[in-house]
Amino acid sequence: MAVATAGNPQANHASSQRAGPRTAAPQSGFAPWKNPSLAPIVRFEGITKQFDDFVAVNDVTLDIYEKEFFALLGPSGCGKSTLLRMLAGFERPTQGKTIVAGQDITDLPPYQRPVNMMFQSYALFPHMTVEGNIGFGLRQEGMLPKNKIAERVDEAMGMLELRQFAKRKPNQLSGGQQQRVALARAIAKKPRIVLLDEPLGALDKKPRQQAQFELMRIQETTGTTFIIVTHDQEEAMTVASRIAVMEKGVLVQVATPGDIYENPKTRYIAGFIGDVNIFAGTVAAIGDGCIEINAKDGYQFKTRSSEPVTIGQQVWLALRPEKIRIAHEQPASAVNAIPGKVEDIGYLGSISHYHVRTAPGERITALRANAAHTVERPISWEDSVWLDWPIDAGVVLTG
Amino acid sequence: MNKNFSWFNLTSITFGFAFLYIPILLLVIFSFNESKLVTVWAGWSTKWYSALLENQALKDAAWVTIRVGLMSATVSTVLGTLAAITLVRMGRFPGRTLFSGMIFAPLVMPEVIIGLSLLLLFVAMGLDRGFWTITLAHITFTMCYAAVVVQARLQDFDKSVEEAAMDLGATPINTFFQVTLPIIAPSVISAWLLSFTLSLDDLVISSFATGPGATTLPMKIYSQVRLGVTPEINAISTILIGIVTIGLLLAAFVTKRQTERAERERRKAFGAAG
Repeated sequence: MAVATAGNPQANHASSQRAGPRTAAPQSGFAPWKNPSLAPIVRFEGITKQFDDFVAVNDVTLDIYEKEFFALLGPSGCGKSTLLRMLAGFERPTQGKTIVAGQDITDLPPYQRPVNMMFQSYALFPHMTVEGNIGFGLRQEGMLPKNKIAERVDEAMGMLELRQFAKRKPNQLSGGQQQRVALARAIAKKPRIVLLDEPLGALDKKPRQQAQFELMRIQETTGTTFIIVTHDQEEAMTVASRIAVMEKGVLVQVATPGDIYENPKTRYIAGFIGDVNIFAGTVAAIGDGCIEINAKDGYQFKTRSSEPVTIGQQVWLALRPEKIRIAHEQPASAVNAIPGKVEDIGYLGSISHYHVRTAPGERITALRANAAHTVERPISWEDSVWLDWPIDAGVVLTG
Repeated sequence: MNKNFSWFNLTSITFGFAFLYIPILLLVIFSFNESKLVTVWAGWSTKWYSALLENQALKDAAWVTIRVGLMSATVSTVLGTLAAITLVRMGRFPGRTLFSGMIFAPLVMPEVIIGLSLLLLFVAMGLDRGFWTITLAHITFTMCYAAVVVQARLQDFDKSVEEAAMDLGATPINTFFQVTLPIIAPSVISAWLLSFTLSLDDLVISSFATGPGATTLPMKIYSQVRLGVTPEINAISTILIGIVTIGLLLAAFVTKRQTERAERERRKAFGAAG
């Protein structure tokens, strides 16, 4: 279940709403994608990539703006890495155009592109020292004088606290240190765009979280556009200003982390980002900004919805576990309330997950923060409970 | 030593090594024979080694062999490396299987056939047979060995390291010389050593490709043996064995020290990192 990987969806959700604008740029209200007069720094125009008869990327059109921390998110094999590699120049699109800063770079070789990439395997040069690795790109230009190169290398090493390892070879470094060298090498040339291909995939959970904040710090201080490819939804939520969710080569949704979490477009996204309860049903009535849904198992739910629907249409109601209240007593004035029996409890310290089986046999996950030190009557296994949620808690999905 | 080293293992290893090395040992011992008769032992002597220094024909042959070896090993290593890179890096292209098959075919082709076909080619082209035709012939048959050795190394080499170099602005040529070549250097060196050794002891192909005035050491030894084995031949053979053995030990020693050092550094780094 996604709950296990998400750790703490409630906290996650709360921070992600702020995370988007705050981490992308210190000034509030950072949303260049909403400004029609701004030209994007990267524009994919109808990009399609075919390997023999397998379509890895299917007609992707996407704008990414300067100073964004943009995440391409999806399961392995969804085409996100292929899209990134096409931007770096390692793959040529079968169709479509790649435009960077107004220039069509579709046919440029990798060594002429204004982008630098950090590889999943780090791809450090094993025969060069840390200094040599970081300075490699600067030496290629042949324009910078030697002392300038040393200065820039030192600057990059300072930014990532690598000065003490300057003379070491990559195989004399730990995984975390190698990861920092790879990042330093990618930013040393001060490219306009830094590409990160699963940059933290090899790290354990704790160092990975630290590295995520380091990435955000570097992105902020350098003011560079970062594009990260990841399959870890939590990582994308933490670092990104906007997320593009991909599935089978197609862009499914592009939005801020908060938007993606709160207003997922499809059941696939709702399930991929965080944990979710989904009720299938048909539209029974359409009111003033609200609809009533006849759920498959006999319940009737009332929920706010801006989705244009017609009566009798098949819809799904997506409910985040933290938006469902769980209690022993039947709530007096709840719009949506269903009874059930507690089947399982996952105690995670700060929060608990309750898996509740309803009378028709549906399994619903509710989440409660363990705010009080001691609770008079804690909910335990086999307890009969009531689940209820307000009218604006759920999201109506049509696909 | 392994505790499960049974009598069976011990016996089989003894017989195996005896089978391999008794003939060579015999040759080495008889090179120190006082007597002119190869099969009769008449006490220790090094006089055949000093006699070697007087033998101008043998010295000339040795010089030809070394020059052919150096030149053909160098050229075949360059060609073999290029072939290996094409095979491993170019991905799929039409005729790739045919191409790789054609590069490796000489590995299993009978030497006599290679020699004969080369001879026909040289005659047809009207080349004067001698030093250069031997060198060309040796390049032809050692190149595929060089390609195999380099290809093995390239195959377990992370392709993204080359991509990283290009991503950082290195042209394909700079990428090759600054990144690929230094990383595959050990395999290129062993390809060279292998080619050199193969060239050094080739007899069949050299015999086909040679002409007047260019005699390699194996050819010289072979022709002298037909007139009867002299202790001098034993002496020069012993020297050859010595050179090859030292080379092999050196290569093994270098490789071992390299792995040990890498291992030590890795342990140190992780110890320091906690």
